[in-house]
Amino acid sequence: MKKRPERLIGVTGSTGYLGGSLVSALRAQSLNVVAYRRSVPDGVNDGSVRHLDLGQPADRGVFDGVSCLIHAAWDLSETDPRRAWELNVAGSKRLLETALDAGVQRVIFISSMSAYFGTRQPYGLMKLAVERAVLEAHQVVVRPGLVYGAHSGGMFLTLAKLAHLPVIPVFRGAQQYTLHVDDFISALSTLVSSRDVPSAVIGLANETPTSFKDIMQTLAEAADSSAKTVVVPWHALLALLRAAERLGVVLPVRSDSLLGLVRPAPGVPGADVAAQLGLTFRPFSRDQL
Amino acid sequence: MTTDVLIVGSGPAAAGAALALCQRPGLTVRVLDVGGRLEQDHEAARLRMSQREPSAWEATDLRTISQTAVPSAQHRLPEKRNFGSDFPFRDFGQLDAVSSAGDLNTHVISGAYGGFSNTWGAQTMVFSEATFDDWPFTRRELEPDYRAILGSIPYAAEEDDLAEYFPLWGEADRLPPLGEGPDRILKNYERHRVKVRGHGLLVGKARLAMRGAACVSCGLCMTGCPYSFVYSASHTFDQLVGDGLVEYVGGYVALSMGEEQGRPFVKARSLSSGLLETFNADKVFVACGALSTTRLVAQSLGLWSKRIHMSESAQFIVPLLSMRGVNELTQDDSFTLNQFNIVMPFDEVGHDVVQIHGYPFNEATGDALPQVLQPEALRGVRSALLRRATIGLGYLPSWWSPGFDVQFSSPESEGQLPAMTLLASSADQGLTKRKLRAVVQRLVTAAPYLGVMPALTQVSLSAPTKSYHFGASFPHSRAPQDDASDVVGRVAPWQSIHLVDASVFPTVPATTFTLSIMANAHRIARTVFEGT
Repeated sequence: MKKRPERLIGVTGSTGYLGGSLVSALRAQSLNVVAYRRSVPDGVNDGSVRHLDLGQPADRGVFDGVSCLIHAAWDLSETDPRRAWELNVAGSKRLLETALDAGVQRVIFISSMSAYFGTRQPYGLMKLAVERAVLEAHQVVVRPGLVYGAHSGGMFLTLAKLAHLPVIPVFRGAQQYTLHVDDFISALSTLVSSRDVPSAVIGLANETPTSFKDIMQTLAEAADSSAKTVVVPWHALLALLRAAERLGVVLPVRSDSLLGLVRPAPGVPGADVAAQLGLTFRPFSRDQL
Repeated sequence: MTTDVLIVGSGPAAAGAALALCQRPGLTVRVLDVGGRLEQDHEAARLRMSQREPSAWEATDLRTISQTAVPSAQHRLPEKRNFGSDFPFRDFGQLDAVSSAGDLNTHVISGAYGGFSNTWGAQTMVFSEATFDDWPFTRRELEPDYRAILGSIPYAAEEDDLAEYFPLWGEADRLPPLGEGPDRILKNYERHRVKVRGHGLLVGKARLAMRGAACVSCGLCMTGCPYSFVYSASHTFDQLVGDGLVEYVGGYVALSMGEEQGRPFVKARSLSSGLLETFNADKVFVACGALSTTRLVAQSLGLWSKRIHMSESAQFIVPLLSMRGVNELTQDDSFTLNQFNIVMPFDEVGHDVVQIHGYPFNEATGDALPQVLQPEALRGVRSALLRRATIGLGYLPSWWSPGFDVQFSSPESEGQLPAMTLLASSADQGLTKRKLRAVVQRLVTAAPYLGVMPALTQVSLSAPTKSYHFGASFPHSRAPQDDASDVVGRVAPWQSIHLVDASVFPTVPATTFTLSIMANAHRIARTVFEGT
C-alpha cells in the first residue's frame, strides 16, 4: 500500500523569536514542520529546512507537500520605507500568491497589533497592506499582542533590557495588549489543526490592556531593580530616534516601536472568532514572566 | 423543446444576461430594445477612420466625430458626446413624460443600442468584499460571474495596491502609456507610499474595459474610440447577433409586463408604427437600466403616486492642481480615459470606500473652466492652469449620498408611458457634506506627497441623478417584502420575470458599478437556468 504523504506545516521567519518558538513547539507536538530560512545550515538535508528569501521570488517547489503555511518572516533591518515596503509587503504578497498557487491550503499571516485601521506607523501600515492581500485570498490573519513569557524575545526582550536602567522612561497614556508566549503557541496550534477557520483578523491578546508603566515596573521588579519610572515626552524621543535612523545609527528601539507603544491599537479584533475557536489569553502578571 | 427567453434592453445588464444564456442549449434568446443608433453620417465617418491610421484621417471626419457639448454652468462638466452625437442621451420615445423638480437631470434613460455604455468611462473594477455585507449573497458567490464577464470583454489593468480591496480577476492587457500629469502622481505615490497611505489614501492605475495593447493613443477616448477599442454593450450584441446566438428586435419601447397562467409577456409600442405588440416568453429578463426598469415595474403593478427611493452614489468633482505643469497641453498622442484611481477606505474592511478617478487634460476640461477665465485676454492664465490640472471625478457610497425619489402617475391612454417625475430626496444632506469634507481633508493632508493640491474653491457635489450610478428601487433580499426582489430579481407576484440591472442592487458603493451590473445579471441568468 502506498504511504500517504505526511502533512507538512511550513513556517517562515523561523530564525525569529515567534517563528522559532513555533517551529520548536509544533515539532514537540510531533507535527512535521518545514522551517524556511534564507540560508540552509550545512549538513541539514532532511528537508526540515528549506531555502526562502522574502526579498526574492520563490519557486513553487519550495512549498511541495506543505498544507499550512505560517508566515512570520519580516525583515526589520531595512529602515528606508520604500525599500522596506518592497522587501516585506511586495515580498509577502508574492510569497502568498506562490504558496496558494502551489497548493498550500491554509496561510496564517503573523501580523501585529500595530496594524490597525488609522495607524500611521510605517510598520503597522505595511502589515495592514499584507493583511489585506491575505484576507482577499480568504486566508487567516493573526495579530499577536506584546508577547512575553519565559525566554522572551522581540520587543519584550528589549523592554526587559530597558528595565535594568537606573531610570526607566515611560510615556503618558501608553499601553499594550499582552500575549503570553504559551497562549500564542496554543492559539497557532489550534489554527493549524482546526478543520474550519474563518478568513478573519484574529487578535491574539488578553482584551484588557496593561499600561506601559505597569509593564516596565513589573519587569523592573522581576529584575530586582528599584529603578524609578519617569514620564518622558515621547514626541521629543521620537524625533531623536528618527534623526538617528536617518543617520544610520542602530539603536535598541526603533522609532516605529515607540509609536507602537504610544499609539496602540484601540482594541483586540476578532474576539468572537477567537472565542469560537476556544482561544484564551491570560492576563499579564509577574508570575508568568 | 426550447425555452424562449426575452431580454428587455441592450445595455450592460442585458449583455451580462445574454452572455450567461447564449451558449446554453435549449434556449432561444431575443432582445427587445429601443435601439437608437448613431447618425449615418457620423457612423460613416467613424468607419472610415477605423480603417486608417490617425495620420491618414480626413479633417472633416475628425471634426464630425470629435465634437463635444457645451457645458452647463450648473454641472460644470458637459454631457458627453459619442462620435459627435448625443444619441446615448437622445429621446427616441423612451423619455416621454419624464420631468424633474429642481435641477435634477432628466436624461436618465438611454434609448441607444448599447445604452449608456456607449459613453461611459469604461472603469472596470469589482466591488469590495465588504460591500456584500449589505447584500444577500457574497462576493465569492459572484466571483465566477465577474470572471465570466471579464473574460468576455476587453480589459486593461495592472496589479497594484488597489488589489488589496479590488482583485483583478482575469487576464488583462496593459494600459497604454499614461499622460504626463497622472504618471507623475503615480510616481510620487510610489515614492511616498507609506506617508500617503498613512493619510488614508491608496493610489493605483485605472482599470478599463478597453483593448489596451491595441490602443493607438489618438486622444479620442472621451468622444468615442473610432477603432471600437473601448467596450460598449453594443459590441457584445453585435457579436452574439452576428453569431446567430441572439435575435435582436429593435424599435420598441416596453410599456408594461406581467404573467398570464405563469407565462410572462411584455407589451411594447413600435416606434415606427405606433402599434402595441405583445411579446411572450418563458422567462423575461428586464435590463432597461435602473430607472426605466423601475418605471416598467411601476406601470405593470400600478405603483402610482408612491415615492420610490433610488439610491445613488453621489458624484463630486475635485480639480487637482500640481506645481509643475505638463510640457504640452494636448490630448493628441495619449489615451484620455480615467488614468488612475484614488481610493479612500474609511473602515478596515473596505465597506465605506470613496473613490476618485483621475482624468488627464482633454478639450472638454478647458471648456469647463469658470466663466471668469474664458475671455481671450486670459488665455495664458487658462493654459497655465490647464497644464497643471488633473480632474478628479469622485464618488461617495449611496449610504452617504442623498439619492433621489421617483414618482409615477398613470398614463392617460394605453400605449403611453406613465408620467415620471424625479424629485430631490428629503434625506438630510448634512452627512453627504460632512463626508465630502472628510474626503477633501484627506486629500489636502496627502497633497504634498502626491504633488497635487485640490482646488478647494472648485470642489463641487453634482446634482442628484448626475452620477448615473443609481439603483436599489427593488433591492435583492433573502426574504423580500414590499418593494424588494428575491435573489434572482423577482418582484412579487412574478415568478418568471427577473429584474437584472441596478434596480435590484441593495446598495450602490462608490466603486464604479457597470462590471458588477453585468456580473449580477450574469449570475441571475445563470442561476435561473442552473440544473435545467
